[in-house]
Amino acid sequence: MMTKLLTKRYPGMRAWLMQRLTALIMAVYSVMLFIRILILQADSYEAFLDFFQPSWFRIASWLFWISLSIHAWLGIRDVFKDYVPNMQMRSVLLKILVVLLWVYIAWASWLFVRK
Amino acid sequence: MQVNETQSSCHCKAKNRPKNLNLFTIRLPINALVSILHRATGCILFLVLPIILLLLQLALSSAAHFERVVSILDSPFIKLMLLGLAWAFFHHFFAGVRHLAMDVHWMTTLMKARYTSKVVLVLGVLATVVLAVKLWA
Repeated sequence: MMTKLLTKRYPGMRAWLMQRLTALIMAVYSVMLFIRILILQADSYEAFLDFFQPSWFRIASWLFWISLSIHAWLGIRDVFKDYVPNMQMRSVLLKILVVLLWVYIAWASWLFVRK
Repeated sequence: MQVNETQSSCHCKAKNRPKNLNLFTIRLPINALVSILHRATGCILFLVLPIILLLLQLALSSAAHFERVVSILDSPFIKLMLLGLAWAFFHHFFAGVRHLAMDVHWMTTLMKARYTSKVVLVLGVLATVVLAVKLWA
């Protein structure tokens, strides 16, 4: 029954599940980040670079950003659906949202991958 | 229901009906308050994404830029803004965890939901206070 609900016929269920999955990923990452900040106390430039150096941390950060983008897309889309009744206006806003999120993904990827 | 009845029975009173466009006359139940704050904080967090990326890029680019970012974040006014943002994050986080808990049918009766709403509000403020102490002490 569950798998049937997750097919293309029920996009709402997929959105619902994606919102929760991405939330879980971000929650775990956030807790990890807080603990890491508390332990490492990166208060100089060198220490900050070291903080950012491990590949597992970069991959985790990148995954976090992808999750955040999906989560923000679903969340802000709901906000537009609720408060922007004008369909033309809404579709323009949604397009701006998509462009912004892709730009942020490109930007974040560049930050997390280089060096 | 009630509105429809008045509408059909007496059109003459339509003028005196309250319009209720004034949001301040609506007293939100605590669950609704947590819910709307979850949405509002989500929007705020979305809006500061470019600022976070910009600061991160600056801090990573060179030692001089790193010092600059640190000095910017160290000014009292910015610290206060940071605290506000931190509250937005904490509230969104705890309210989100509450949603996830309810999705697995935990704390779903009205009384329990009201209780977890209070817990979420308190935890958000508490975490912010702890951070404030850490930032200023």
